[in-house]
Amino acid sequence: MPTLIALDASLSMLRPVPGRNEHTYQSLATKGIQHLLDNLTAAGKLEHVALLSYSTTAELKVDFTRDYDQVRQAVKKVEPVDKACLMSMLKAVVSIMSPWGNQNILQVVVFTDCGLGFGNTSITGFLEAYAEKESEPEFGFLKTLANYNLNFICLGLHGDYYFTRGLAVYQQLLDKVSLKGQLFMTKPAKSSDAVEGNPNPNPNPSHKSELGRTTVFELIERLCEASYKSSEVTLKCGSYFRMEASVLLWPPTAPYEQKSHIFGREPTIRHTDQKIEVCGFLSLSDIGSPATLSRHWVLPKVEREKSGSSRRSGNLSAAAKPPKLNLDTSNPNYELEKLEADIKEFYAKDSKDTEESGDDDVTIVLKPGPQTEQQKENLCVLLHGALKMENMAALVRVGDKWYGFIYAFTDSKKKSNLMLNILPPGTNVIPWLGDLESLGFPEDLAPGETASFPVRADRRSYSQSSVVWIRQASLQSDVQKVLRHAKKMPDKTQHFYKELNRIRRAALALGFVELLEALAMLLEKECAHLSLNGASNDCTLQLQHAATELRKTSNRDMKSMIVPLQKVGASDAGSTAATAPAPAYMY
Amino acid sequence: MFERNQKTIFVLDHTRYFSIASEEYISMDFLKGKPSADGGATGAAGNATGSGGSQFSKSLWTCACESSIEYCRVVWDLFPGKKHVRFIVSDTAAHIVNTWRPSTQNMAHVMNAMLIVGVPSRNVPTSSDYSVIHGLRAAIEALAEPTDEQLAAMADFGTDELPRIPNKGRVICITSARDNTSMKSLEDIFNTVLVQQNTLAAPPSKKGLVIDHCHLVILNIVPLGVESLVTNRSLLKISPLLDVEIHTVSAPDISYKLTHLILNHYDLASTTVTNIPMKEEQNANSSANYDVEILHSRRAHSITCGPDFSLPTSIKQGATYETVTLKWCTPRGCGSADLQPCLGQFLVTPVDVTSRPSSCLINFLLNGRSVLLEMPRKTGSKATSHMLSARGGEIFVHSLCITRSCMDEAPSITDGPGGRVSDYRTAELGQLIKMSRVVPLKVKDPSAPPLTRRLPRYFPLTTSSSILFHLQRHISWLPHFLHLLVKEDMDKQDEVRCQQHIHELYKSASRGDVLPFTHTNGARLKLSKAKDQYRLLYRELEQLIQLNATTMHHKNLLESLQSLRAAYGDAPLKSEPGASLLRTYTESPLSPERLEPISSVGASGSSSSNSLLKASKRRMSSCGQRSLLDIISSAERSQSNKRLDFSGRLCTPLGQVAKLYPDFGTKDKDTVTTGASITPNVKEESVRS
Repeated sequence: MPTLIALDASLSMLRPVPGRNEHTYQSLATKGIQHLLDNLTAAGKLEHVALLSYSTTAELKVDFTRDYDQVRQAVKKVEPVDKACLMSMLKAVVSIMSPWGNQNILQVVVFTDCGLGFGNTSITGFLEAYAEKESEPEFGFLKTLANYNLNFICLGLHGDYYFTRGLAVYQQLLDKVSLKGQLFMTKPAKSSDAVEGNPNPNPNPSHKSELGRTTVFELIERLCEASYKSSEVTLKCGSYFRMEASVLLWPPTAPYEQKSHIFGREPTIRHTDQKIEVCGFLSLSDIGSPATLSRHWVLPKVEREKSGSSRRSGNLSAAAKPPKLNLDTSNPNYELEKLEADIKEFYAKDSKDTEESGDDDVTIVLKPGPQTEQQKENLCVLLHGALKMENMAALVRVGDKWYGFIYAFTDSKKKSNLMLNILPPGTNVIPWLGDLESLGFPEDLAPGETASFPVRADRRSYSQSSVVWIRQASLQSDVQKVLRHAKKMPDKTQHFYKELNRIRRAALALGFVELLEALAMLLEKECAHLSLNGASNDCTLQLQHAATELRKTSNRDMKSMIVPLQKVGASDAGSTAATAPAPAYMY
Repeated sequence: MFERNQKTIFVLDHTRYFSIASEEYISMDFLKGKPSADGGATGAAGNATGSGGSQFSKSLWTCACESSIEYCRVVWDLFPGKKHVRFIVSDTAAHIVNTWRPSTQNMAHVMNAMLIVGVPSRNVPTSSDYSVIHGLRAAIEALAEPTDEQLAAMADFGTDELPRIPNKGRVICITSARDNTSMKSLEDIFNTVLVQQNTLAAPPSKKGLVIDHCHLVILNIVPLGVESLVTNRSLLKISPLLDVEIHTVSAPDISYKLTHLILNHYDLASTTVTNIPMKEEQNANSSANYDVEILHSRRAHSITCGPDFSLPTSIKQGATYETVTLKWCTPRGCGSADLQPCLGQFLVTPVDVTSRPSSCLINFLLNGRSVLLEMPRKTGSKATSHMLSARGGEIFVHSLCITRSCMDEAPSITDGPGGRVSDYRTAELGQLIKMSRVVPLKVKDPSAPPLTRRLPRYFPLTTSSSILFHLQRHISWLPHFLHLLVKEDMDKQDEVRCQQHIHELYKSASRGDVLPFTHTNGARLKLSKAKDQYRLLYRELEQLIQLNATTMHHKNLLESLQSLRAAYGDAPLKSEPGASLLRTYTESPLSPERLEPISSVGASGSSSSNSLLKASKRRMSSCGQRSLLDIISSAERSQSNKRLDFSGRLCTPLGQVAKLYPDFGTKDKDTVTTGASITPNVKEESVRS
């Protein structure tokens, strides 16, 4: 999910936060951005992030990258310049996001104090103009913008009219233009301050501040919860408990609107199941490149301990040290887990004992000491290795009559990981694999039956020997083929008559009787030509016979076939030959 | 699902007018020159005859027939079994060529039927009975007949009448009219009959389905070079039920017109694959680049386009529609197993199915090759936007993802959790995956076992998580033993073999044989380590059998193994508190006494030259059928022999004899208190005496 971070660089961001002189709105925004990057780092650095600062104009500070340090450095150097122009920024966003197309969920995170701007470039001015000319090309970029997720981190105090008025207009903007967006703001302070009527309330140290570093971090947490949560599913491969694991699908799966197969019913919104189960395996060459609804990385889920300490240290501790394996006797797999732990302990002890014995040639199987996450075995790595080795994919069931493929994908930099391709719902979505619910194992075949991919479709027109004469060249080519066979009789007699009947039949179907007459004439000419060149009698007799048959009205019947002249009638042929010179003589 | 293009009906005018020539003459000139080369009187005569007869022309009827059949060829290639096309031939009556039934919706049926129709007759005098009206009337009746899909949809609703099944269609009428007045008359008659048909379909008659809408396309045909008095007209709404458009076409151009129309009728698009290298037809030693035009769903183009891309289009000679030109790339062979990121796959058919370039491309694809197609970017570089491939005898165009994707860079699996573990059992899982390949079945038995029963019920992920699967690389009989253990249909013979293997392991453990682990080669393990190995081995074996216990034989093996574990003193020593909670052993009180002799036996076993492998060899050589009792008896006998040696050595010093007697006395007491062990002790006494 490409994420464009837009930082408001208007002068109003330089105002100190009331009651918190050590912070300006900009410094809070900077800390918020750092915290957002911290969260994305903890989640695996999967997001592409770009940084944009805007005031009157929008300036791209960092183009999309997974190197978050670039963004961290750049955000420190942003200096406020001028008044805020939100609409100019949004136009720039559409331009910057265009290389990503429509297949990604595009995220925009705007850090702003909700300033409206001034004059005709203000949001209010825009809304007035938009109300009258919605369909004009000037507003075309809004159509694209509607595909994005707009997340506004709103920095301000609810007692500040500048801020609350801005909030209202921002919400109007999202509503009237039909944009997908959400405003993240802090909760208002206690009403006691308002009741007191103190225009400049001094914060009581014992109370939580309405706006500060902590509250900004909370906004970031809510943003991540709303927009950056991976889909968590259970991947199951067989019945053994170690062959089942919690995994994250990234990017998260989106709901799918499926048309009802029963006419008149409303479309249903479908979600993938919480459990993805392997149904079988196929080779990648059998699968080919079917159409895919979406693609996701299948990543092992890291179990984290939630700590009551501050979030920063909590993250550090979570990253540094995973919790120890807790053997719970009420676990139905307790015996198996205990056995496994004991075996591993045996191997570890064995290494130590061997070391003590002073044998230097021994290879240590296990490192002593606590295991890092990378040292703890995971089903995903095993499955990835096996699928990659065998060039195969796992067919998985992601919902009712809804399937996908899990396989090892290698990118252009030779990095590899498990990928899930989710197919469109249905069981007949890949014609060459057939009904996915009719896939089974070779042992399930009936005796003597064989089965393999691809599933053959009925023959299409291009797999049959069609006769199409719309272009003259096709017709001439077919006629030429007949004449070529004619020259090679008697060796090619069968080919000649087969091709002749094929043309004849097609001509009759199309009512193309003119072709039959022309063909007869051509055969006669060829006969005369070959006679002069001393061709065999068989050849000339067959040609004459064929020409005669083509002209017979009785042969213009689908059931009849022109068959070769039989040699049994040699005497008749002889008499015909005897007659042939007569016309020449008369002439 | 029930769109207008679901039903299409061609009405072909079979009146006398359509027997006239199209005036586009076809020449067979490639044969003309040969006779004249001969010279002489005969040659001259032949030449005269040839020049007179070598040109001929298709009739209007032939042009109409072949173009319509070409239209339905495209439909049936791209929407097999989903979109339906019918033909009705009209002269003195309407002749039905095919129906909505799937068995008649194919080229073979139509061509066979056309053989019966034949050429329009020229000899029949002009009569008012000869009219295309018969066909149009029959077409409206055909629109009221339900297709199989409509019948199925009606069945879904049962007798519920509220949601009506849509019934729309298109009629393509190929005819010829004198002038606009005649054409108007044709339209009016059609509309009138349409209304009448719906009156018949309404309750209470209910004769056929109500027609919701009809799109009438009239092709007014004239010979080449003849002007028509009928004016072309784009789509016009005649009534709520009827839209009509009129096209005047010269006969040789009917196919171009229909190709243009079919793109709109079925939301199709044209792609021309350019720069296809092929061997020249006349000269096999050289090659040239050819173009092939194909038709497919329009979505194959629109699904790929992004803001940074534009599809290059052109209009080829003779056509009136745009075609997208995509350039041929170096093809990839069958070996490429990469799953391309594919947004859509669409059936494809060539425009000119019999041309040599089309045939070459088609055969190339049907033989398993696939072809990438390139399109230019605005920036000047190129992107691979599509791929052609054939599967199961069908040719598809795949629309590839060409915009930037967050999936382009893989997070490396070695950097993730578990990525640095080096001893995964990858090869074993790979074998299982190959054995679990699925095949397409014609009929799937619902009771057929799913994948979960084919994959093992016990599968440690790494070799360092297992004793058994670590060992099977070093002990030759172990894989087969494990294979027998997990058989779902284990029989008595399998059980006996497994019993033998289990007992063999027990004997090795009793002797203190060292299990052959790689990392301990050359290093002597402490005695306690060897014991730990066997204990873990037994526990793992027990879990394996428990998870796979599907027959009585499995349960017998489990009981046998558990009793041997008890005899080895495994469970009580290791987890005596746990044992008291989870299970009980009847022989627990005997543990202290049994442990001591086993220990002494182990000590002597370590000096023995017998290895586990040699023992297994001896065991494999004798394949006789032996019961568990026989196995245990022989084991006890061999142990007694060893004990005899021990006492023999002790007899040598006179002082040692005195120690032996108190032990003997103790065992006598055991005999009295435990009835279960009477037999083995009696045997021992007899041996000693």
